[in-house]
Amino acid sequence: MGKVIISTGRGGAGKSTFVALASKYLNPPKLLIDLDPDESLANMVGIDLNEKGRKTISGALYDVIEENKGVGRTGYNLLSDVLQPVLYRGVEFDLIALGTKFTVGCYCAPDAVLKDFIPTLVKDYEEVVVDSPAGLEHFNRKVVVDIDDLFVILDPSEKSIKHIERIRDITRELKVGYNHLYLIGNYKFTEETEEYLRSTGEAYLGKIDYDPDVKQYNLEGRSLLELPEDSPATVCVKRILVKAGYKITDGDLTIKSSEKIAKGLSL
Amino acid sequence: MARKIVSTGRGGAGKSTFVALISKYLKPPTLLIDLDPDLSLADMLGLDFHKEGKRTVCEALYDVVEKRKSNISPTITTHDLMESLLWSDCLYEGKRFDLITLGTKLTEGCLCAPDEILRKTIPKLAKNYTNLIVDSPAGVEHLNRNIVSDINDLFVLCDPSDKSLKHIPRIKEIIKQVGIRYSHLYLVANYEFDEEAEKYLQNTGEIYLGKIDYDAHLEQYNLEGKSLLELPEDSAASLSVKRILTKAGYQIRS
Repeated sequence: MGKVIISTGRGGAGKSTFVALASKYLNPPKLLIDLDPDESLANMVGIDLNEKGRKTISGALYDVIEENKGVGRTGYNLLSDVLQPVLYRGVEFDLIALGTKFTVGCYCAPDAVLKDFIPTLVKDYEEVVVDSPAGLEHFNRKVVVDIDDLFVILDPSEKSIKHIERIRDITRELKVGYNHLYLIGNYKFTEETEEYLRSTGEAYLGKIDYDPDVKQYNLEGRSLLELPEDSPATVCVKRILVKAGYKITDGDLTIKSSEKIAKGLSL
Repeated sequence: MARKIVSTGRGGAGKSTFVALISKYLKPPTLLIDLDPDLSLADMLGLDFHKEGKRTVCEALYDVVEKRKSNISPTITTHDLMESLLWSDCLYEGKRFDLITLGTKLTEGCLCAPDEILRKTIPKLAKNYTNLIVDSPAGVEHLNRNIVSDINDLFVLCDPSDKSLKHIPRIKEIIKQVGIRYSHLYLVANYEFDEEAEKYLQNTGEIYLGKIDYDAHLEQYNLEGKSLLELPEDSAASLSVKRILTKAGYQIRS
């Protein structure tokens, strides 16, 4: 059974950046799921799904519905008709994107398809990482109900602090279970503002330092997987993962990063 | 009929900040609608919604649904009941602005129900105001839901990323397919843009109105939860917003 990891938070906090950077150091086989209809994760890890002949869930679902109109067939096999054309299989990781829909109505239907698939999918992977859309609605939909690690990425604002309380309320009320809730500060935090995160009562794993490369790569649409190993953001993500008890895949890296951690934390 | 203004964009681009800042310079009466379930617009305007005795749309809807369960012969539909509550319980009326907040929903299921109530009521509400400004949640789903189908000015707030540039044609396609009409689509850049990155926005083929300059006050206000209405008139963000509104043909109220 794979470990289920969720990255969530307010808009612009750095959810997808965190997923893209962390994906490199998780244990294979791993599956990345982009739950944001305003899809971007594939691009950030250097995959053009269209080019790879892959559809999004929204796209595949729409096609299935259109194809079956007037045919008289009411039931269709979701697994073969929707999941097959959607799952991208790569050397480094597999990926599924929810995708944009261009019809009226909410994303309950494509979300429900994913929700059904996830328990089956997790069996095939060591780690499954879900990149959430901004906000809270994905919790209301209970797309993932059994979470191992819930990473909440935050920006330095009062709204962010309130957001943590809302996540606590909503997960409790809706019985969305998780083993750990971890807070991560984005590059905009200063030492002074980090204090806010330390005093929330939740486990704060540290911040992701400012990294001009990340900014530039995101602007150009370049894959974040090409970031140098010693770039500030990469080093921070490794440090955060180690703190959360992850065994980072590359042995060499583990030693290097733990040295950096020792320095970083002045242990 | 009010001019309907919608502020949209990817997460963190500055949608709510833009709404809070422009609300000050528009001709009253102004109605603000916060569509984000992770509510924050009221906070940004220094308003404690609950202290004012007001409820969010989600809270009122929850009560209506619960009450209806215990009522043996419900003679009134949820929607009708909700609509009256919207005016009495959810509409905050202030000196500077009126405000309706969607609110967080703590029950299972999506936000279609509360969104739908607003969708149906917005045309009626619009009659009472000069300007109606909608602050959208991050992403695209609110567009799929077609909550405001008749928009005058659609402001798209952008951050400097490839994702933001891809977001623009994506929302245009959704808008076209779901049948939302708008008179103008304007791009506004957030403070993170530098001159080089601004060129990307100048070349999209859309009307680019300029960027909101970095403002140390603004960052501090947001961190402390202070009302953005108190921001000095000559602060960088206020000046930028006034310039942007003028460019979009607005008469600035001083």
